[in-house]
Amino acid sequence: MENHLKTDRNPTEKPYKTRIKGMGRYGIFIAFILVCVVLSVVTPKFLTVSNLLIVVTQVSINALLAFGVTFVILTGGIDLSIGSTVAVTSVVAAMFAHPDSYPVIVPILTGLAAGLLLGAFNGLVITKSKVPPFIVTLGTMTIGRGLALILSKGRPISNLSDSFNFIGGGQLAGIPTPIIILIVFFIICSVVLKKTVLGRYMYAVGGNEPAAKASGIQLNKVKMVVYTLCGGLAALAGILLTSRITTGQPNAGVGFELDAIAAAIIGGTSTTGGTGTMTGTLIGALLIGVISNGLDLMNVTSYYQQVVMGIIIIGAVVLDSLNQNKS
Amino acid sequence: MKRIYFSYFSAIFFLSLFVSGCNQSTSSEKSGESGGKKLTVGVTMLSMQNEFIVNVSDEIEKKANELGVELITVDAERSALKQIEQVESFIAQKVDVIIMNPCEVEASSPAVTKALAAKIPIVNVNSETTAKPTAFIGSDDVESGRIAMKFIAEKLGGKGNVVMMHGYMGQAAQIKREQGAREVLKQYPNLKLLAHQTGEWDRAKGMALMENWIQSYGADINAVFAQNDEMGMGAVKALTDAGLKSKVIVVSIDAIPDALQAVQKGTLDATVFQNAEQQGAKSIETAVKIAKGEAFDKETLIPFQLVTKDNLAKFMK
Amino acid sequence: MNPDYILTVHGLTKSFSGVKALDQVRLNLRKGEVHALMGENGAGKSTFMKILIGLHSPDAGEIFFEGSELKASHVSEMLKKGISMIHQEILIVPELTVAQNIFLGRETQGGLFGWIDEKKLNQQAAVLLEQMGVNISPTAKMKYLSVAEMQMVEIAKALSNDARVIIMDEPTSALSDKEVATLFSIIRDLKKKGVAIIYISHKMDEIFEISDTITVLRDGKYIDTRPAADLTINTLIQLMVGREIDSLFPDSTSHKGAEVLSVKNLSRAGKFSGINFEVYAGEVLGIAGLMGAGRTEIARAIFGLDAVDSGEIYLKGKQLIIKTPQDAIRQGIGYVSEDRKGLGFIPGMSVKHNITLSSLPNHARGLFIQDKSEAATAAKMIADLRIKTAGADQKVMFLSGGNQQKVVIGKVLLASPDLVILDEPTRGIDIGAKFEIYKLINRLVSDGIAVIMISSELPEILGMSDRILVLSQGKQTALLTRAEATQETIMRYAVH
Repeated sequence: MENHLKTDRNPTEKPYKTRIKGMGRYGIFIAFILVCVVLSVVTPKFLTVSNLLIVVTQVSINALLAFGVTFVILTGGIDLSIGSTVAVTSVVAAMFAHPDSYPVIVPILTGLAAGLLLGAFNGLVITKSKVPPFIVTLGTMTIGRGLALILSKGRPISNLSDSFNFIGGGQLAGIPTPIIILIVFFIICSVVLKKTVLGRYMYAVGGNEPAAKASGIQLNKVKMVVYTLCGGLAALAGILLTSRITTGQPNAGVGFELDAIAAAIIGGTSTTGGTGTMTGTLIGALLIGVISNGLDLMNVTSYYQQVVMGIIIIGAVVLDSLNQNKS
Repeated sequence: MKRIYFSYFSAIFFLSLFVSGCNQSTSSEKSGESGGKKLTVGVTMLSMQNEFIVNVSDEIEKKANELGVELITVDAERSALKQIEQVESFIAQKVDVIIMNPCEVEASSPAVTKALAAKIPIVNVNSETTAKPTAFIGSDDVESGRIAMKFIAEKLGGKGNVVMMHGYMGQAAQIKREQGAREVLKQYPNLKLLAHQTGEWDRAKGMALMENWIQSYGADINAVFAQNDEMGMGAVKALTDAGLKSKVIVVSIDAIPDALQAVQKGTLDATVFQNAEQQGAKSIETAVKIAKGEAFDKETLIPFQLVTKDNLAKFMK
Repeated sequence: MNPDYILTVHGLTKSFSGVKALDQVRLNLRKGEVHALMGENGAGKSTFMKILIGLHSPDAGEIFFEGSELKASHVSEMLKKGISMIHQEILIVPELTVAQNIFLGRETQGGLFGWIDEKKLNQQAAVLLEQMGVNISPTAKMKYLSVAEMQMVEIAKALSNDARVIIMDEPTSALSDKEVATLFSIIRDLKKKGVAIIYISHKMDEIFEISDTITVLRDGKYIDTRPAADLTINTLIQLMVGREIDSLFPDSTSHKGAEVLSVKNLSRAGKFSGINFEVYAGEVLGIAGLMGAGRTEIARAIFGLDAVDSGEIYLKGKQLIIKTPQDAIRQGIGYVSEDRKGLGFIPGMSVKHNITLSSLPNHARGLFIQDKSEAATAAKMIADLRIKTAGADQKVMFLSGGNQQKVVIGKVLLASPDLVILDEPTRGIDIGAKFEIYKLINRLVSDGIAVIMISSELPEILGMSDRILVLSQGKQTALLTRAEATQETIMRYAVH
């Protein structure tokens, strides 16, 4: 690649192409603000504290899933099994969450363990077999759904303890607990991505896998961790969902993987790996949530909601590819 | 009872559309070979992920054991196409009777036609198909919608604002339950349908939908009609969280255990009981009668029943 | 207008966001000549060629093709008019056949539904390839061809377009000497047919062998056009860099130290066997050989990218078991690959992050990266290697080839290696940057690092190495001292 543009220029000036990239990155943020402004004008119910708290609460589950999937997509992979992981976690956690059975930490830990195990299983098969992640996680998706049905015998598990239901349904200082959990894990995931060796390696593996290997990075280790993390975050989302609807549902989370992937991609995560941020993904998830909430407030039928969502996803990917072509 | 799950992936699964998982369960306790050849009945159920359907299926299995009938039960996973293939395979296996819990009114019809063409009797359970089967056992979903909305109308004294949560749009149950509800609404001009939207039969979606409605209409909502208990429970949760439950009536359909408990607690005002046990039992009984050449009813309608705190005891197990 | 000229360009100017990439550039191309376009990376050659084939449109200037003015518009239109380009990275569809690639997008259609007449395509392709005197089957799948054969197919494709001007951008970068000879004979044939060729290459010997006329660009500006016969390598380099370089290969002041690497009987089935050599601190061991002689394969095996079947590797007297690059890096071996884009760097990551990638744990406390320490280290390396970049946060994909190479070398050096393997370290890099890489190699050896340098350019091998290992078909045929080695002796052993 020739570089007649860069070498002789004033180094303090931001390079042209970086600026274009930057616009792409802010593009999603601008789109988000724009949608919020439009909704505020169209329906007065939108811009109220209580509604905004509800939107973010509703978004929290998808956002947690999207954080996990962002890690995976960054390394050039994909995880289709997270929706099923939500179901397995939901059932497992609910089995241990009946009142007067175990302290609340037990369902949380068993649920998390279930998700981490499924994630680790994905990682193991992907690194050992070299079968594409798409196919492996598609298989895990079906296995997970089956496991959830077996464990629950096809029936929802209800009658959960109040302390467990507090996780997704409670409030701390007037703020719903899912929002607090969301913020905490947003910070953790951002730090992992931006400030740790592991995060850097994720970018490297997704950016150019052979070069990452030749730089001494253990690809398998990175992938193992990434899929396990993704499973763990899906488990967290599953626990939150279970607590929020106060039942363990074997058929929970159907199609959740698509919403999560959409959030990551709308947020600027490159489908080929190597680029993306947690902030972008969070905004992607918020955008999806805000649109769905806004259309509900306006009593628009779900048919149109689906069309709108599809247009946004394609738009985001087109924006992404335009940016890539410019560089 | 033991269940053996045979799960397999078809060789190619590049598209999830083609992922074909199939849960077969065979009654493992072979009770009383009561002389002569044992009857074989093929059963295809809409979805084993739905509690009500699982209840129907369990009842069929229980009754089959009592009657000494060999069962082959498969899960159509909500796919009419898969259901047709399953029926084709029953035909190939030369079962004596087929029991089908249809996925869709139109799309599952060819299964009926094919079975009849192969001279194998077919019994539809729970929902209908356009093609007429040998016998039908089920309940009229329109009636359930009617019962639920009627309850709301009476509670509100014929005046107030109602919101309605649909199931998957276009499914038979959704269409009929909506039809029944709207019939009642027409009779009460002061009963206003404020908003209606799909919650896709799902508790979490129902809850999110209710939260958004609360933002939109707040205290204007007087009653919620959810087309199934899952969504109803979601609505109850959202209303409780918002501190509005005492002011809003919630009614849903199916009478799943969770909903019955909620009725007992007083959080859910009413649910409508669809008798899974009777549907299951009647369908296998009818199937056996047909196979043995005995007289049978071409249509057995099992009535819905409104469940409130007053008559709850009858339905709790 | 001179009717001898098939293509005339003057006043061509193009800016990207205010920075002039081309400034008043001119070119006169005669029918049937090979016209070399020379200049360092960044001189504007690529932009110029992209305008000629319609990928960019100029801000100012005129292009006359066969007497009429060309309004640059679209690639396919330029193709129709008769200007074709053989790209540096060959653009092929690997799953299609030779004939299908040649006629891609212009399949002769026939029949009721516009079926493609494969038979006709194959015949036409066979005729074309026959005319060029190359022996490639039209029905072979592209992916089974060698790089050289793919290039021939590209040329056939240009000819099938009735090209009268063919632009060749670094056509020999992946070719063996024999293949280069074939290419050159095809070029001479094309000349006879009146086809004009614009030839871009960094290889001086090729330029003087094949070209009739040379035009030099520097910093986007036109410098001069002269007949090749009037120029020498030194005068040409002077025109390109704008200053005089006394010698391309700087003197080294290093002293041979203790043995660093010893390789005993190293073999990998089908690639190389029975390889034995030592490398000492402070020396450059050159590895020469033709394409496919096993040079890169040996480097990859030592670095843990490929497994070996037998043999031993000792580093500072200690036997190593290397299974992954990570093992190699930990033990003190660094590798700068010939496949810079594929194995060298992460294009979308910043210069800083690329430089520290192999030594990241050194800049981290526990799991957390210490930003300040990382930034300071990267800044020092950028200054040290004189990497030209808009900043440490610039993405590596926006750097020139030479600077990308420096980033890779910087990454390798930060892992504090005892041995550095440089595989074609100057491939695709302009003269000025080459000189800097050579100086860098000398600095490494005077710091007591052992260097293995693999290169296809014999002058480079001769100019830089203390000893030279020559390979032929996976076997080592000679280990020469600098005094013994000449181009002729090396070639003799290389074709052994």
